[in-house]
Amino acid sequence: MVARRDVRSLSREKTIVLALLIQLFVAGFSSFLVVGLTSLYDPGSVSAGEVEMAVTGDARDELLAAGAEHESAAMTEFNDSREAQLAFEERRVDALLNASYVESSDGPGRKISVTARIPEGSLRSTLIVVNVRRVLETLERQERFERADSLEEDPVPLPPQVSASPYFGFTYTVLIPLLLFLPAFISGSVAVDTITEEMERGTLELLRVAPVSLLDIVDGKALGMALLAPAQSLLWILLLSVNGIRVANVAVILLFVTAVAALVVTIGVVLGVATGKRRPAQLLYSVLTLVVFGAAVVLPEHPATTVAKLAVDSPTLSTYATVVGTLAVAILAYAAARKYVGSVDASAF
Amino acid sequence: MRPAKLLRVAKWEVTKNAGGVDKRTLVVMALAVLAMGAVAAVAVSGGGPGLDADIYRVGVDESNPYHQVASEDPSFRVQAPDREAFERGDQDLTFYSANRLSRPQTEKQSAALEALRSSTESYNDRTMARADNQTAAFPVTVTLVYQEQNGTSTLDTSTGGGDTTADDGNGSDGPSAGGNGTDGQTSDGATATGGGSGGSAGDGGSDGNTGGGEAAAAGGGANLGGIGAQLTGDVESGTPGDISPPFPFESLVLAFLYIVPMNFVIQAYGSSMLSERLNRRGELLLVTPASRGDIIGGKTLPYFLGAMGVATAITALLRFSGIAPSGSLVAVAAVLPIALLFLAATFCGAMFARSFKELTFVTVTITVTLTSYAFVPAIFTDVTPIALISPLTLVVMDLTGRSISLGAFAFSTLPPLFTALVLFGLGAGLYREEDMFTQRSIPLKVLDALAGRIKSRKSALKMSAILIPFVIVAELGAIAFLFVLDSVSLNVFGTNQSLGIVLVLGVVAVVEELGKSLHLYAGYAHARYERTLRSAIGLGALSGLGFFLAEKGLLIVRLSDLEELPIGDAATLGATPPAGVPLWAVALLFLFAPLALHAVTAAISSVGARRGRWAYVAGVGVAVVVHFAYNLTVVSALA
Repeated sequence: MVARRDVRSLSREKTIVLALLIQLFVAGFSSFLVVGLTSLYDPGSVSAGEVEMAVTGDARDELLAAGAEHESAAMTEFNDSREAQLAFEERRVDALLNASYVESSDGPGRKISVTARIPEGSLRSTLIVVNVRRVLETLERQERFERADSLEEDPVPLPPQVSASPYFGFTYTVLIPLLLFLPAFISGSVAVDTITEEMERGTLELLRVAPVSLLDIVDGKALGMALLAPAQSLLWILLLSVNGIRVANVAVILLFVTAVAALVVTIGVVLGVATGKRRPAQLLYSVLTLVVFGAAVVLPEHPATTVAKLAVDSPTLSTYATVVGTLAVAILAYAAARKYVGSVDASAF
Repeated sequence: MRPAKLLRVAKWEVTKNAGGVDKRTLVVMALAVLAMGAVAAVAVSGGGPGLDADIYRVGVDESNPYHQVASEDPSFRVQAPDREAFERGDQDLTFYSANRLSRPQTEKQSAALEALRSSTESYNDRTMARADNQTAAFPVTVTLVYQEQNGTSTLDTSTGGGDTTADDGNGSDGPSAGGNGTDGQTSDGATATGGGSGGSAGDGGSDGNTGGGEAAAAGGGANLGGIGAQLTGDVESGTPGDISPPFPFESLVLAFLYIVPMNFVIQAYGSSMLSERLNRRGELLLVTPASRGDIIGGKTLPYFLGAMGVATAITALLRFSGIAPSGSLVAVAAVLPIALLFLAATFCGAMFARSFKELTFVTVTITVTLTSYAFVPAIFTDVTPIALISPLTLVVMDLTGRSISLGAFAFSTLPPLFTALVLFGLGAGLYREEDMFTQRSIPLKVLDALAGRIKSRKSALKMSAILIPFVIVAELGAIAFLFVLDSVSLNVFGTNQSLGIVLVLGVVAVVEELGKSLHLYAGYAHARYERTLRSAIGLGALSGLGFFLAEKGLLIVRLSDLEELPIGDAATLGATPPAGVPLWAVALLFLFAPLALHAVTAAISSVGARRGRWAYVAGVGVAVVVHFAYNLTVVSALA
């Protein structure tokens, strides 16, 4: 009963409408966000038009051959290096590559030394550098192949190139766990707020006049907050699938999120009852949840990885073990918390 | 405001309130921070699997060369190849033999193949590093040189070289190139670049141009040093795999560095302010001889100093650790208006909110809005006028050693600064016994805050002028956000303007009409004004006049050349007269016509406001349409 009242009061506050709108706004732009954030993670994944490169120097034939393999690089040969320089300065080409043979100091034979001139700036130069790197890596592969006699171990040939979404790994290993765990942490924070607010305002007295004990009150609030988290996570999953990002094993994921939310809400509730004041409770809550989430690194499988593997449909035994383990820990923690709350003298507030 | 009283309130805030944190809490927090440190150490040292462990399942035989590749990469789980498993979806990649690979059909399978390809590349690099014949193993070495290009692009609005990198890039010879001190970023310092250019000059194979020693200002502005391996001018080192592209969004990093700590500060500040309103606690301070200004200033001062202290510490850390050695007090000064704006918005939020839950959501909204205001314009580093809308650009410029003109500094910092002051003023209007302890909804509280400043009919003029900073900040924000749409053309009512310009004009119309009429509505709602038609029109005219006078503050955009951009020019209509226009036309266009426009539209809204809420909305709607039509006409006529 207390749970229902709390959830309903949350929906009446206009600011939660605002928060939901913000979440919707963020979700609607999740594709834009993925592209934007991935460009930080891996600048090469943002595709651009063609990059014009000017090629000079005595090893330019090899460089041209390397560039021919890349569609996004358009190579122009210059016999005169001064002309190439001019072309670069006048923005007729995006990059200037000068390749020449030098004596190697690491071993016998010659190396190809490439001097690449890249324009200063921000986004454009990043894209140009990424393309230059690709061309030069191809050059390196070709040269290794030609000198294979001098190498004991041959390099492994590259598997065929396929057009894959470059954001795939990022989406499933970083973005989805982030989006799914966020509601759990917010729930815990709100749980701390509801309990300490009742105490600071003195309305706890009024609640207790009804035939409800402190334990019932805490139970109700915790239940409300813990159930809100998987509901929000489900909303995120639906929004992601609308954006074309499929999430597998939804039921197991929601169960896991509920377990994590229950655990986090338990921490919040205990802190709220123990301190009785909002500010220290919130402070301790933030710090402790950070520590717990960070300490999960020493587990055989981090909870974020668990969600990632479930979402991408590669679950292993350790994944299910983590889910069951978290559920068990949450239940035990909540039982212990109930015992603690039951032992607190409620008239002190 | 008396300084002595203000300082005493500040002292109480810190000592008696101290964030409401007692010794026990502090001990627990200290232990927790230590635990975090231990965990971080464990995580960094590689104990424990990464985030993407076992994502893809690969079926490959032990005899296959790819088996070694897949086993060394933790994101692959190696299994025995099984065709049925592949078809069931339990395996993502299956090697039927050494060369025959399953063809990817789903997105996950394609991603797995791509991951295998990049894993093979790094495996090869590792193998080659072990080879005896290093020339054959790494036959290519690379030197990256960053250099300015001279031609202009469509995005360049500053005439070649106006963008303040001291590096000229052209025609400077060896010694002066070495002496070019702008690159604080090369980890070897300036001498290495000089040596590097000289080294490549002495290199037999390279042509004369590299010997000409164009200064390699290592990505000046594009790389906050320390991030990624940066190739210096040494010919011997650097394979293609070592190339690390410059980090494109350094402003994002800075946003996190400087702005995220502010979130914590405003959490504590908002909490402290709101607790004054619970249980009439604030009444105790209100009955003391300290004035409202003393109390608010005193309570805000510790948090302001804290935020500034953190900003200074971050700048000092960046400077003395060598990541950004040219960081100075200018960066801290640029952060000041942002900090004040955060605090001011939180103060108003705390005065409006009814409970801690509401305050939390309000704080989140403030954080999201102000962080985007700070971050989005800074993305457009190529387009200086747009980038200067955000004070973070000044921070970036200072940290990368570019000089900042006083005009640019003023343009960037004054609008948020004035907005912050206005917000403090409005919130302070509510800091009194009649308003502090009431539980009214947020929209009603906003009207209370506006009406609190209305004393007579002349207040209409004053209020329009006071709300100008909001209007300016909103318009600048709109320019920054809609800038990308400037290239999409649209033929609205036959005027042939771009989509960006049309949208900006729309936003300008809405924002200005709201700014002129909202306080009028507040005045009517609180019965400060008479509800007669004559009075309404008169008030509208006064409001329009006040707005017109204060709007000349938009001249500030001249400090940043924002008008050289078509979208900036359209939005700041009326700020500057074009050249070569006869005087009577100038007077008409830039004095009488805007005055008439503002007076008329404000009067329309005012007439609507005197009747009630929905009439007000209708009135504002009509006024917006009129204003938009006027703007569109002028922009098309002047184009």
